[in-house]
Amino acid sequence: MTSAPTTITSVAAAANHLASRRSPLRWVLLAVGLLAALSLPWLVYPPLAMDIAAWALFAIALDLLLGFTGLLSFGHAAFWGGSAYVTGLVAINVGVPFPVAILVGALFAMLLAVPIGFLSVRSSGIYFAMVTLAFAQMLYFFANQWRDVTGGENGLQGIPRNFFGIELIETDPFYFYYAGLPIVLLGMWAAWRIIHSPFGKVLVAIRDNPARASALGYDVQRYKVMAFVMSAGLAGTAGGLFSISHGFASLQELNWTTSGKVVLITVLGGIGTLWGGTIGAALVVMLEDWLATSGFEGIGIITGTVFVIVVLAFRRGIWGTVRDLKARFRSRT
Amino acid sequence: MRHKTTTAAAAALSGALLLAACGQAGPTAQTGEDELTDGKVVLGVLNDQSGVYKDLSGPNSVEAVKMAVEDYKAEYGDDAVATEIEVITADHQNKPEVANTKAQEMYDRNKADAIFDVPASSAALAVATQAKENKKLYFNIGAATTELTGAQCNKYTFHYAYDTYMLANGTGKTVTEQGGTNWSIIYPDYAFGQDMTKSFTTAIEGSGGAVVEAIPTPFPNDNFATFLTKAAASNPDVIGSMQAGGDLINFVKQYNEAGLRDQGIELAVGLMFITDINSLGVDQFAGTTFTEAWYWNYDDENREWADRFMEITGTRPSFAHAANYSAAKQYLDAVQRAGTDDADAIVSELQGYKVNDVFLRNGEFRAEDNRVVHDAYLAKVKDEASVSEDWDYEEILATIDASEAFRPVEDSIAAGCNLGS
Repeated sequence: MTSAPTTITSVAAAANHLASRRSPLRWVLLAVGLLAALSLPWLVYPPLAMDIAAWALFAIALDLLLGFTGLLSFGHAAFWGGSAYVTGLVAINVGVPFPVAILVGALFAMLLAVPIGFLSVRSSGIYFAMVTLAFAQMLYFFANQWRDVTGGENGLQGIPRNFFGIELIETDPFYFYYAGLPIVLLGMWAAWRIIHSPFGKVLVAIRDNPARASALGYDVQRYKVMAFVMSAGLAGTAGGLFSISHGFASLQELNWTTSGKVVLITVLGGIGTLWGGTIGAALVVMLEDWLATSGFEGIGIITGTVFVIVVLAFRRGIWGTVRDLKARFRSRT
Repeated sequence: MRHKTTTAAAAALSGALLLAACGQAGPTAQTGEDELTDGKVVLGVLNDQSGVYKDLSGPNSVEAVKMAVEDYKAEYGDDAVATEIEVITADHQNKPEVANTKAQEMYDRNKADAIFDVPASSAALAVATQAKENKKLYFNIGAATTELTGAQCNKYTFHYAYDTYMLANGTGKTVTEQGGTNWSIIYPDYAFGQDMTKSFTTAIEGSGGAVVEAIPTPFPNDNFATFLTKAAASNPDVIGSMQAGGDLINFVKQYNEAGLRDQGIELAVGLMFITDINSLGVDQFAGTTFTEAWYWNYDDENREWADRFMEITGTRPSFAHAANYSAAKQYLDAVQRAGTDDADAIVSELQGYKVNDVFLRNGEFRAEDNRVVHDAYLAKVKDEASVSEDWDYEEILATIDASEAFRPVEDSIAAGCNLGS
């Protein structure tokens, strides 16, 4: 009689201890993250802050596929850039407030991802990467040729930042950041929600062992396509915001280098860490910006070297390495 | 009594003198301080300093702008309105979003009064929007798109050195008039190539020639053999290549290997920089005709400037370098004339202004579309044997008068340019 309650209390205490050991830290991290996001335009030049936020969401979208489904897409520029153009066209021709235009752009990206995803998830590994690259290149040439609509190499210029006629947000990048940030946070929350849902667990199961997931009765291909479409939607949200922020969409957005850059950001931040993308984006965008005025001519050499160092020395990316160190420290104490 | 009057007179006199002194000294002392926004003039050079346009403009254009600053200081000395001039620079890496952010930062944070150069048309147009929004000056030199003086033109953006119309018109018209009536045009299938082909066709047909074939190629592209064979099959007098940069170099190599020149088919090139000739070697390009915006060895004035440029950079200037120098000098001169660096005052000072300098011959800042027109030149690449010194690659065949070299005002307005709005 006496032993049972003790066991229960001790279990409860242990559980409590466990929860208290994990959850406060998580809240602290969330608070720090939010604080960083809110103070970013004070720390860096506001248009750059918006770039960092957009690229961070883009990297998180890619990580959903790369880290949690095990698919390396090398054609995500199609969704980022496709949405950038559609968002721009909607903003120019319809004149709706920019979040609506971005929503249309993101929906377009998801729609685009259905056939592309359906055709490419049949292959895996390097073949998957090549097939997605091929589709993205198709879209690139399409945008290059369809000059009357896209402006060809001149780009789609003069995209307005309509926001219910609030002039501060429409003209000042500092205030625009705070109008755009909720969209990014919403996208990040969606990504977090997806991977912590039962659906997300299935994705991880597919990543780790597709044969077993299939044996358990999951339609692996369908899950992959769904993950692909969700990832494209988030990438499209980021791309749309990026084009609104800059006031134009150019072929650069659809170029394969954009697909490469987001993979680089994700790898730098840490594959399968979700939040690593924010660190990677901040690092790459700031580095690019700094190099632009550094007077150093070999910009590619610097970014390449950083990439090589991270891949060799911090195989799990920055976020992943920190997390591992923390786990090791904790297991020692 | 008398003593009192004298004192009063003296006081009045000295008071008047003091007032006069104030009246005179006041504004002169203040022009340097109050008439300049932020107390100084900041010139921003935004271009490609690490990629494909590095040689033809790049870091040496920054040097050219610095030369203009030196010359301005030497010319006006203590009378200079711009007492403090700063030159800042950034590498846009040919990425329009980097150009956009950097331009914004230059205008907004670094208090740049004018931005120069900006090659790559998507970047050039993005910066034009920034100039419009920030109400600051922008002299585009590096980009070829006529959109800058068409649908995307604005009050603060001047298009300085060249554009697709000027290149096509010069070469197309002059070569046709000199007897090259049948043309085959090979062009890269994107905006620049398509625009050039359209402008060339108009110019050639306007001069009584004909374009027998226009062949699109992928871009970028290495192998032009099939396109050259196809172009040669229709037996034209001239093959017009609209390729640029690395593609042009490959194209010219293959034109030579195919032996088309020996068959009497001439080569005309849409856009070429002297740095292209230098990198491939003059023998590869020998005999090619093209339109040049400026040539360093054209006359003594150009040569003298080119010598100075060479002392600083160790190389001969391309037309883009000279244009950057000229644009910066013209801007500073306008500041001097206006007595302020207020952007609106400078724009009204420049619009309609006619001038001659080392780059601008018969130059005019057209008020209707902000196109800066000047004499252009039809050039031919020399044979290796007649090259007398390094960089002496070009022979100027004809001067195209400023009034004919560029797109007429009506066409700019028809293309959608409205500076009034």
